[in-house]
Amino acid sequence: MNLVAVGINHRTAPLEVREKLWMSSDEIRNAVTAMKGHPFTECFIVSTCNRTELYGVYNANGSADDAPPDINGLKDQLIGIKAPGGAVKREHLYHMLSSNAIRHLFKVASGIDSMVIGDIQILSQIKDDFNLAYEEKTTGPLLHRLLQSTYHVGKRTRSETTITEGAVSVSYAAVELANKIFSDLSKKTALLIGAGETGELTAKHLVGRGIGGIFVANRTKAKADELVAGLGGKAVDFDTLQEMLNSVDIVVSSITSDKYVITKSDVQHAMKERSNKPLFIIDIGVPRNIDPGANDIENVFLHDMDGISVIIDRNVQKRKAEIPRVNEIVLEELTEFYNWYNSLQVNPTIHDLRTHFEQVRLEEVEKNINRFSAEDRELVDLVTKRIVNKLLHLPTTNLKNGNEETEEEKHNKLHIVRSLFGLHKHQSPKE
Amino acid sequence: MKMLVDAFTIALPVLYFGTAWAYAKAFFKDSVLAKKVKTPFLLLTLAIHLAYLLLRTVLFNHPPITTIFEIMSIISFSIAAAYAVIEFQTKVKNTGYFILILAFIFQTFSSVFIENLYEVKPILRSNLLGIHVSSALLGYAAIAISAVYGFLYLMLYHHIKSSRFGVIYNKLPNLETLEKMSMLSIVVGFSFLTIAISVGLIWLPRAFEHFSYFDPKLIGTVFIWVMYGVGLGAKRTIGWQGRKIMILSIIAFAISFFSLTIINVYFSAFHKFY
Repeated sequence: MNLVAVGINHRTAPLEVREKLWMSSDEIRNAVTAMKGHPFTECFIVSTCNRTELYGVYNANGSADDAPPDINGLKDQLIGIKAPGGAVKREHLYHMLSSNAIRHLFKVASGIDSMVIGDIQILSQIKDDFNLAYEEKTTGPLLHRLLQSTYHVGKRTRSETTITEGAVSVSYAAVELANKIFSDLSKKTALLIGAGETGELTAKHLVGRGIGGIFVANRTKAKADELVAGLGGKAVDFDTLQEMLNSVDIVVSSITSDKYVITKSDVQHAMKERSNKPLFIIDIGVPRNIDPGANDIENVFLHDMDGISVIIDRNVQKRKAEIPRVNEIVLEELTEFYNWYNSLQVNPTIHDLRTHFEQVRLEEVEKNINRFSAEDRELVDLVTKRIVNKLLHLPTTNLKNGNEETEEEKHNKLHIVRSLFGLHKHQSPKE
Repeated sequence: MKMLVDAFTIALPVLYFGTAWAYAKAFFKDSVLAKKVKTPFLLLTLAIHLAYLLLRTVLFNHPPITTIFEIMSIISFSIAAAYAVIEFQTKVKNTGYFILILAFIFQTFSSVFIENLYEVKPILRSNLLGIHVSSALLGYAAIAISAVYGFLYLMLYHHIKSSRFGVIYNKLPNLETLEKMSMLSIVVGFSFLTIAISVGLIWLPRAFEHFSYFDPKLIGTVFIWVMYGVGLGAKRTIGWQGRKIMILSIIAFAISFFSLTIINVYFSAFHKFY
């Protein structure tokens, strides 16, 4: 298959190099348009903060043995689009051909090639970037089918493995922990202290899980108000922390402070006031905001970054354990894709077309044969065979004599014939 | 029919072992097959166990409550049945191992030592006795389950407190749910004990010449009942919750177990049959 992939990712280049090749939507549009025709008949580019990859179908006609295009030339071309200065070198880029390129794309879509294993963002990014190429008309039947299989890999990975499960970020891990303490977050309330980014994200996830109410306390009230506007909670005075401790169930603290914002005796006092109702406190401030001694108090669950990172490490290990299963899915879909690809070759199509016509002829002959006298029956068989052969003669020759055509035209033609006559038997049964 | 009873006597421990094993596989190893078969297997075991108890009643012409090993089989059945109800009620499906292992132990003791008695003391053929014993056993099964959930609660509590995020953290339901399950079991257990004690107080003075309100077992049982009653009341009024009440549920069960075994065997005067 004349497919090539050239790209850069977190494995081959540091962030400061990768970001030089990051492309905006408009830049992707321009790049794919420039490459369509030469060197590619079909192409698209995926660009995220961790990777920029170019996938292209090249036309091998005229060159010996399906030789791929000049890889170094391609790499230079990709570098040249964004960073011609020399900061990005050829060594930062990798390349893959035919089945390796497909396998790579499938792996990317499944999330096992991501920096954070099982990252679910990547599939929608591939979709979006492919759509850009589609709108610029640089995609064709091969890439369309390839993308269809790619989505399928992504979907199956999500439904058949647990690689996307378990929190691998601080904010999600905090929410996961809250769910191990409380059974119904909608009956609980949370207090966010400070306006740090991680704290805000945690609050957002809590809101996403349907937390019953959320309060924000910050030294600068304006910032708290701003946060509340985005979260749909209520801003409270920073001086009312002690009072808030008496009633809320979850506290998320991420404030910059040299001394503890909440001391052990504050918590002790609050536990009396709240008649020992469990209190979950996440301290993501550095240095820590809450006296670690508070964890000794009954029904108080205090966790800082160390505890959270234990959860994250454990979940990363669990995700890694799913990689072999994902590889199986990738292999299955790869086989499926090749089945389709092979079915598009000329000879199987001619064979399928002839079988289809022969079937129709036989059915009709069988249905009507009794209307003819015994001596005519053989003749009917002969005549109908002749009609079919004559009808199929020209299409068969035309399909076979496609040497002048480009790969894309060939594919288009076979694709049309197959869909016109409903010849799908070489394709996957799911289609 | 006798052959069938004997066959079931051997089969039941095996079935309970299989059920507990499937629940363990589902909990610790995440086995997909075990997750699928465990509940149907439990129901099958319960059905066979029920048939076994009925067969014994018919064959030996008395309900199987006359010897301690007959009682053990009923305790085993009560625990497993109570767990099945909890599983269907709460939809928490993965804590079965910790409870069904108890059912397995009780049934194994029963199966090994049970005798086929055709003759029993006339006093043990009363209908009131049937109600008294079965509600007492259901009550004890329920508080045993509450202690198991209390124990699971404390395990998870300490794991979360000390940031140990292993199998216990992964597989157990959340603390609030465990507490609820334990409390629900206590309410059920307390209700059955109330019935058992009421019926007992009606039946005992009539049935026994040497009846005494100061019998150690009677005092022990009433003490257990009062203890749970006070605990439930305190939960309602003072609002005890979390770790403290779970520890209480375990201590209360330990006392009940002591009363059921040691006092029954060594101290009880008239209220002792085995």
